[in-house]
Amino acid sequence: MSRLGILLRNHTWLVPLLLLAIAVGVNVYLQDNFFMQRVLNGNLRVMLPLMILAVGQAIVILAGGIDLSVGAMVSLVNTVFVTLISADSGGLELAGAMLVGVGVGALAGAVNGLCVAVLRLQPIVTTYATSFIFAGLALAILPRPGGSVPRDLTRFYRDYILEVPVAAYGIALLIILWLLLRRTRFGHHLYAVGGNDEAARASGVRVGLVRFGSYVATGVFSALAAIALTMSIGSGNARIGDDMTLSSIVAVVLGGTRLAGGRGGAIGAVIGVAILSIIRNIISFAGIPSWYQTLVDALIILAALAGPGLVYLIRRQRNDGN
Amino acid sequence: MTRLVASNVSKQYGAVRALTDGNIEIEGGRVTALLGANGSGKSTLGKIITGLVRPDSGELTLDGERVTIRSPKDARRLGITAVYQELSLVPHMSVAHNIWLGQEPMRRGGIDQKEMRERSGELLELFSASFSTRVTPTMRVSDLTPGERQIIEILKAMAWRPRILILDEATASLDGRQVERLFELVAQWREEGMGLAFVSHRMEEIARVADRAVVLRNGDTVGEVDVATTSEAQLVQMMTGGATAPHTTRQRAASGEKLLEVEGLSSGRVRDINLSVAPGELVGIGGLQGQGQASLLLALFGAEPYRGTIRIAGKRVNLSTPRRAMREGVAYVPGDRGAEGLLPVRSILENLQLPSWHRYGLLLRQGKAQADAMRAVDELNIKIGDIEDPVRTLSGGNAQKVVIGKWLLRKPRVLLLNDPTKGIDVGAKAEFYALLERLRDAGTAILFNSSDDEELLALCQKVIVLQDGQLRAVLEGEALTHENLVAASMGTAANGSAGRSADSGGRP
Amino acid sequence: MTAINRVRRVIVSPTVIALLLSVVLFLIGGVIQPDFLNAAQALNIVRLAAFLGIIAAGQTLVIISGGEGIDLSAGAVVTLGAILTFMIGAGQDSNIPLALAAVLGAGLLVGVVNGLGIIFLRIPPLVMTLGMTGVIQGTILAMTQGAIPGRTPPGLAGFINGRFLGLPGVIYLWLALGIIMWLLLERTPYGKQLFAVGVNRRTARLSGVNVPLVVIATYALSGMLAAFGGFVLLGFTQRVFLDLGGSYLFPSIAAVVVGGTVLAGGRGSYTGTMAGALVLTMVESLLRAMRLHEAYQMITFGVILVLLLSIYGRQRRNQ
Repeated sequence: MSRLGILLRNHTWLVPLLLLAIAVGVNVYLQDNFFMQRVLNGNLRVMLPLMILAVGQAIVILAGGIDLSVGAMVSLVNTVFVTLISADSGGLELAGAMLVGVGVGALAGAVNGLCVAVLRLQPIVTTYATSFIFAGLALAILPRPGGSVPRDLTRFYRDYILEVPVAAYGIALLIILWLLLRRTRFGHHLYAVGGNDEAARASGVRVGLVRFGSYVATGVFSALAAIALTMSIGSGNARIGDDMTLSSIVAVVLGGTRLAGGRGGAIGAVIGVAILSIIRNIISFAGIPSWYQTLVDALIILAALAGPGLVYLIRRQRNDGN
Repeated sequence: MTRLVASNVSKQYGAVRALTDGNIEIEGGRVTALLGANGSGKSTLGKIITGLVRPDSGELTLDGERVTIRSPKDARRLGITAVYQELSLVPHMSVAHNIWLGQEPMRRGGIDQKEMRERSGELLELFSASFSTRVTPTMRVSDLTPGERQIIEILKAMAWRPRILILDEATASLDGRQVERLFELVAQWREEGMGLAFVSHRMEEIARVADRAVVLRNGDTVGEVDVATTSEAQLVQMMTGGATAPHTTRQRAASGEKLLEVEGLSSGRVRDINLSVAPGELVGIGGLQGQGQASLLLALFGAEPYRGTIRIAGKRVNLSTPRRAMREGVAYVPGDRGAEGLLPVRSILENLQLPSWHRYGLLLRQGKAQADAMRAVDELNIKIGDIEDPVRTLSGGNAQKVVIGKWLLRKPRVLLLNDPTKGIDVGAKAEFYALLERLRDAGTAILFNSSDDEELLALCQKVIVLQDGQLRAVLEGEALTHENLVAASMGTAANGSAGRSADSGGRP
Repeated sequence: MTAINRVRRVIVSPTVIALLLSVVLFLIGGVIQPDFLNAAQALNIVRLAAFLGIIAAGQTLVIISGGEGIDLSAGAVVTLGAILTFMIGAGQDSNIPLALAAVLGAGLLVGVVNGLGIIFLRIPPLVMTLGMTGVIQGTILAMTQGAIPGRTPPGLAGFINGRFLGLPGVIYLWLALGIIMWLLLERTPYGKQLFAVGVNRRTARLSGVNVPLVVIATYALSGMLAAFGGFVLLGFTQRVFLDLGGSYLFPSIAAVVVGGTVLAGGRGSYTGTMAGALVLTMVESLLRAMRLHEAYQMITFGVILVLLLSIYGRQRRNQ
């Protein structure tokens, strides 16, 4: 294998980064104020919640699972959070509500983990079923969209520190958090369990615990995504996370992580979200009639999902030719 | 000095007695070979020592103290580690990560990557001269050759700093240079006081590396000998239990025609196989299991890609899928019923008719399908409650008859059998043998892989022996004896009277 | 003994259990709210169950095919089928054949694409069908541009809702589909091979089954049946909106599981799904009778499905 091939495979986020650069290039061409501080901040603010969510999805996919309930967990934590606070909550109250939100996320993740790792149920349908439980709970907590968040909180989220948008710090923090997690034994064992669970078990890795932990971690990241999202939009809505599940999976795939598990990483997922939102930017600036935008968006997503399979198919065909 | 003793251990799987009275002593500073033909119980004994299998009775002592080993983890804690042929590596992780998986060095709450790389580098040094290209700690295991992966597996075992190391077919995928290096290291580890157990299908390796040999036969330890003073022929004799008369089969008049002809066939695990089977001929495939027998049969059934030429009744055929092979009249009876042969939750009827449904019309004539299936049930004497019962309600022997029955309904010209009698009781076996002879006499060409040497000797006119994916010997007539079979499967010639060697140019 | 076995097999079959469950739920409904318990209500529930049952037919096949098989595009395809019928039908009964052909063709197309992606591009069924959902929704938006011109052909509405011998037409349609599905699963080579593929693809292949073909055909059938479900549903609602089919997706999967079709594949029946559709419709009516918010319905459905999964999941491990 060539040196370049090895480099690309060991750093699965390099190709996505290249894609991102191309996407940014196209975007800048269509929207010349793209690099203006205000526009950039606007983009990053929208991206951050989905980035956090995609990191969570990447963790569970790396360990060989999948979580279809992340969107519902976002909705649930969002409704819990806005219900606990009001427009004039103080700092302590906010911190407490965030803590409760994270706890709810962890608990929801633990329910998934229990079903998949302990009861050994099929992850796809199980998390699809729990997504209805979580979404139902969110709807029960907040039947109608509403609730309010302290002005200062939303203002802070839009603000700048040393000329750099707060959301950018959020993204940096997210990447650091992932790099720290990766250094731990748990983070390391995610790859082993997703890559070959039998081998991991034979080597003394506690496979069930790692799998359980991956769902709890995803729950926590979903909660963090919900908090960021709440700060971004400033209110509560029990359906807010509905469309985020598919986006999170697509972002993980765009970021070079295989759905089969064991390969890839969360940095790719972060880049995947950036690509996804810039593609959406492009679609809206490219003069595509608005009635066709959803279709174009969906076709691009489908193409992204098909990408790895196409590569595999072409490679196999070439090998058969030899 | 370390000393692990297993005495009088036994193990039974269902109705099958894998080990009756297994005894072995592994001592520090010594290499003990574990020898036995197929079904002798040597792999079960090996698995008991390393905690993969729990014995039904018997006792294990380590340095005089009684120990219980419930899992490989327990074994490792006691300093006993095994290197297996079936790899326990995670392909997409690096060499270093694989070697230290489960016991990563930690520093300040995180994994110490540097330490892990350095210590892996030291371990890799042991084999550095035998790698054709440099293997570094950061390389991915999926990029390595099978031999290099096997070495990583050995180093992974060494990373646990074992006092007792079990090498179970650890040389199978190594090349000559790597085997040399491993043997040098084995000698060195022995000097350092490690106790080693060595299992191999190559007699020549055992003769070179082992000090003592423990020989098993039919689930019993039949003796322990000094390798240096025992000849290979004597070892083979211990494995087979003494001289047996050449086997005589009812030879059919040799017809010149061949039904199945294979030339230069290579596939996943086999290389350059030539063989032919005449109508009414039953050819056995022998050798220690896992030497490519299954791969050969699957290729002939179109279930595994192959290179080479296959002719059926003189016509060159391209068997790219099982369906094509079936159209040519080939049938494949697997031994692993659960994975390849049966649909346990579906009915007996559906299992019997699965390859044949298309014959019963687009809207199935269920009555006819059922009547045909019942005829097979009667003919094979399958004991069933109701033909609509799920197959999983049947005993092993009856379930295996269903697997055979579904092919008999198609009246195959070429029948491939992959260890079909594994785990079925004696009565069912006898019926099965009678059936095979009936099919043979009716003119079916049969290729029969078996892990039971007695069975091959009793049924076949001719046995081909595979070792390391190559055809080592063709035994027939006078040469078809148990000694020759075992000797050929270990790559040696017993009593200097092996059958025609495949290498000598004679096409079987 | 054989006869006894057969009788026992029928009695303990998930279909019978689910049917009994729906009767028990109906009686519970009567306890909670006495006016729940009457023939008209029962008939109404069966009628509503018919729509769910028809929509769940394709899902049954896909889940039997195994390999984590699931068709999440079914909801969007239902909507597509209804919209096509609405637009092409344009209120004219003479257009019904053309509309039906277009509906089945569109469903076939979606299903074949799903199957090709799953088999040849190795995209997990869940992700593939979820991705297709977006494409279908996008197509609907592009096709309708916000205004959906058309009208339900009166003949269709008349047949679905009209009564024949006291029963609504849709119930006859459902029974007919039930017979066809039974024949398809139990009396055709396709059905037998589908079960084999669901249990163990390697065994199926080694027994001469063309596994890719069976899987692609299954997703194609699922697409066609979902689209047909949309066609039938339009006769009931007589109006279309973008989320028409989406709300049927989760209940349709739950109905299949309640009916005893095993998620791991290889076992199940459409009669079970029919009984499952009755159970779920009964639960829904019960919750509505108790005036419980939609939220509690979602939670209940979710909990039911998780409970069933853990029961069936355990069974699988005990084998």
